[in-house]
Amino acid sequence: MKTTTTMAAVLGSLLLVGGAQAQEKKLYLFNWTQYMDPEIIAAFEEKYDVDVVQNYYNSLPEMFAKLNTGGVSQYDIIVPSNYYVPRLIETGLVQELDKSRIPNLDNVMEQFDDPSYDPGAAYTAPYQWGVSGLVYNAATFPDAPSSWSLMFDPEVNPSHPFALMGDGQVTMGIGCAYLGHGYDCSDVDAWKESAKLLLDTKNRERFSGFVDGTPALQQLARGVTHAAVTYNGDYLFYKDENPESFADIEFVIPEEGTEKWVDVMMIPAKAPNPDMAHNFINFILDAEVGAQLSNYNYYASPNEAAKPHLDEVLTKPPVQFSDEVMQRLHFTPSLKGDKLQTFTQLWNEVQSR
Amino acid sequence: MKKRTLQRGLSGFWWLTLVFLYLPLAVVVFFSFNAANSAARFTGFSLRWYERLLGNEQIISAFWNSLVLAIVSSVIALAIGCLIGYGMYRHRHRKLGWLIVLIYLPIVLPDIVFGISEMAFFVSVHRHTGLLQPGLLTMIISHVTFQIPFVALIVYSRLVGLDPTLFEAAKDLYATPVKRAWHFLLPTIKPALISAFFLSFTLSIDDFVISFFTSGPESATLPIYIWGAIKKGVTPEINAIAALMIGAVALAAMLSLLFNRQGQR
Amino acid sequence: MAETLQIAFRGKAVVSESRHLLLSVSPGAIWIVVFLVLPSLYLMAVAFMTNGPYGLPQMPLTLDAFEQLAGFGFLGWSPGNLYTLLRSLWQTFLATVLVVIVAYPIAYYITTCREKWRAIMLLLVVVPSWTNQVIRTFGWMNLLAPGTPLSDAAQMLGLIPPNMGLYPSNFAVTLGLVYNFLPFMVLPLYAAFEKLDTAQVQAAQDLYASPVRAFWHAVFPQTLPGLLAGTVLVAIPAFGMYVIPELLGGGKGMMLGNLVANQFAGGSNWPLGAAGAILMLIATFIGLFAMRRIGKRLGGGEEVVI
Repeated sequence: MKTTTTMAAVLGSLLLVGGAQAQEKKLYLFNWTQYMDPEIIAAFEEKYDVDVVQNYYNSLPEMFAKLNTGGVSQYDIIVPSNYYVPRLIETGLVQELDKSRIPNLDNVMEQFDDPSYDPGAAYTAPYQWGVSGLVYNAATFPDAPSSWSLMFDPEVNPSHPFALMGDGQVTMGIGCAYLGHGYDCSDVDAWKESAKLLLDTKNRERFSGFVDGTPALQQLARGVTHAAVTYNGDYLFYKDENPESFADIEFVIPEEGTEKWVDVMMIPAKAPNPDMAHNFINFILDAEVGAQLSNYNYYASPNEAAKPHLDEVLTKPPVQFSDEVMQRLHFTPSLKGDKLQTFTQLWNEVQSR
Repeated sequence: MKKRTLQRGLSGFWWLTLVFLYLPLAVVVFFSFNAANSAARFTGFSLRWYERLLGNEQIISAFWNSLVLAIVSSVIALAIGCLIGYGMYRHRHRKLGWLIVLIYLPIVLPDIVFGISEMAFFVSVHRHTGLLQPGLLTMIISHVTFQIPFVALIVYSRLVGLDPTLFEAAKDLYATPVKRAWHFLLPTIKPALISAFFLSFTLSIDDFVISFFTSGPESATLPIYIWGAIKKGVTPEINAIAALMIGAVALAAMLSLLFNRQGQR
Repeated sequence: MAETLQIAFRGKAVVSESRHLLLSVSPGAIWIVVFLVLPSLYLMAVAFMTNGPYGLPQMPLTLDAFEQLAGFGFLGWSPGNLYTLLRSLWQTFLATVLVVIVAYPIAYYITTCREKWRAIMLLLVVVPSWTNQVIRTFGWMNLLAPGTPLSDAAQMLGLIPPNMGLYPSNFAVTLGLVYNFLPFMVLPLYAAFEKLDTAQVQAAQDLYASPVRAFWHAVFPQTLPGLLAGTVLVAIPAFGMYVIPELLGGGKGMMLGNLVANQFAGGSNWPLGAAGAILMLIATFIGLFAMRRIGKRLGGGEEVVI
């Protein structure tokens, strides 16, 4: 019995030590999976003598829910996409940036100075930008059209499993795009039509699931699916890491159009270490670090000063696009109020029926 | 004759069921030694996924979180549950309906309801007072909550199984209740305490849903890590870490068998 | 005089007994009240609140969440949640029946084996459930994916279309549930078989010529309490299952547990999730109550149930 008491005492003190450790210099980074060069983290840790704790999410709803359930006071940096920015600001989950402490904001391209999702860029500093496109196995579909019909038309793909994206707004937008309403539709009738299409598609035998962007690629490489939706940079990253498995996997921007997005760095309202968070944002916006980040991630950089340091692969499709292709890319609309509730209900229907 | 065919059929069914029960686990262990990054083809024996595990800081910290969580919560649950079990025994002739309901509540509540109740509660307490920030502490609290009933019931049933005259004898032997507890009660129910501790420990290590909803940024346990890894897109490292956990369970099973054998002797 | 003293003494004893009860029981009772009863009550209160613009509960109180759960929303009535509920009920029913079909012969077979083997056999049945649920389910993901031998075999038999896997599907969810809960049925059934009154069985065999009737009249009723206990242990957690449909269902197998969890983990609607949790609780208590009633009618006593 004595041993048990001793053990309890030891564990108790261990816990206290754990509590004390939390007071030390730490930076809590809440980011998408596979979205940060470990060397950048190491460099930052060394420069500021701080320990970076990384946590990951696969989708924006997941990130938003975590912030709502205590995360608002537990993370220092989050990296949401453009269409979640307004609701983060409105719910008071994030704080304004102190721009005087982020001199490297000067490096940012002009087009990100006053974005539609955050007028005046008061809360956000851009991290990367990219697109969500169609990926498929070219060995299975040698004559695949550059079109979402690979998903939605049973005649184009009568025989192979495919997946749609887990994020409802993106999948709904893709449905809209296929139906000719444009990716950025936010009209209720268009949504309804799109939801119906999604339901029909979901109930086809070959539909394999709603899968988030990063895991969708793994499934594709393993032959679980033969067509899916994912992000351009992740596609290049995994293809480079595992050329053999990804030899036949192709990435295209469908004719009907698709999503472009900007991921931004924000500081939660009650971040434990906002000072360090500002340092971090400034560090990422450095010309060379910004280039290093994009070179690692294969995503387009919003950093003007980083341009000279970028790898060649980042200057052509599927990272940079011609003006003609850019015309087909749209932001996902930010929803709120009744509009959001209506959308949520439609998406719930699609998921549960 | 008929009986023999029945018996033979049953024995065949038994072996089939064993295959059913162990095949998924065997596959995980098998592919953890796969040289290739594939769940469909086995290209050769390799330990590289295990080597990768050792270099993965997150897995190692998840391992420690699991261990600390299981040990601390089991110790607390043991102390509290043991008291309840004894109280229930001493006063078993009274009406304890309310207490029984309270004790069964954590057992019958569906995991998911349990988890989200705790989460919603902790979040709102934290919002108003700044206490109980999601993390190891909130996980320990939740785990203790579902462990208490099991400890109490094990201790209770052990006490009920004892010869009541033993208590009378102890009363004569030791003057104070404290001495009685120390020299008589605790040694007598020691086997129950040990098995209650192991059950609590296992329940805690096994739990995913409740931990998932009450964890914070630095308190991911192994199951939470594995869940995240599956959601992110399976890598062969998961096979390796899962295989290690299966190995630990196999070891525990053998130990419990040995322990039982000795107990019987 | 002596009598009053005795009464006074007895009164004091009762008081100290009560204090003793309070002392021993209160830490645990308070713990459960504070950390489980209060949170559950809070969750129930959330179900009656308004859904805020971004999914968090707000005042005033309303029944909106229950209306939404029943399918009434912004766009009129829609059957999505009903589908989910029916799917949960069906999966639970199917899994429980299948578990019984597997567990019944297994439990019987174990009792017919030699005594020294029985403990080991039971252990063999139980050990897989000691591994983590996520890992067990992950094992099935490995086994049922497209291109694996099992999926190829199913394709050759024409059970699934070409190029597909057995996972993700509703079938995989059912399989996962059966796998997960089998031990919970084997154990109580084994206990029932072990207590089997063989004299009764012998008499029945003499009485009825056919073994089927002998089984039905003599064996089956005796195992019924074990069967009921097992059903409670399987059906209730299966109904609220979250992990298995999430990993093996692939978006087609959503169950009530996922509906509830999504409202919290997907950040869309706390009150709706809480209302779903209440529905789950009601189902749980109905299940427990029904089993208790049936158990009592069978004369098995209360200990049969839990």
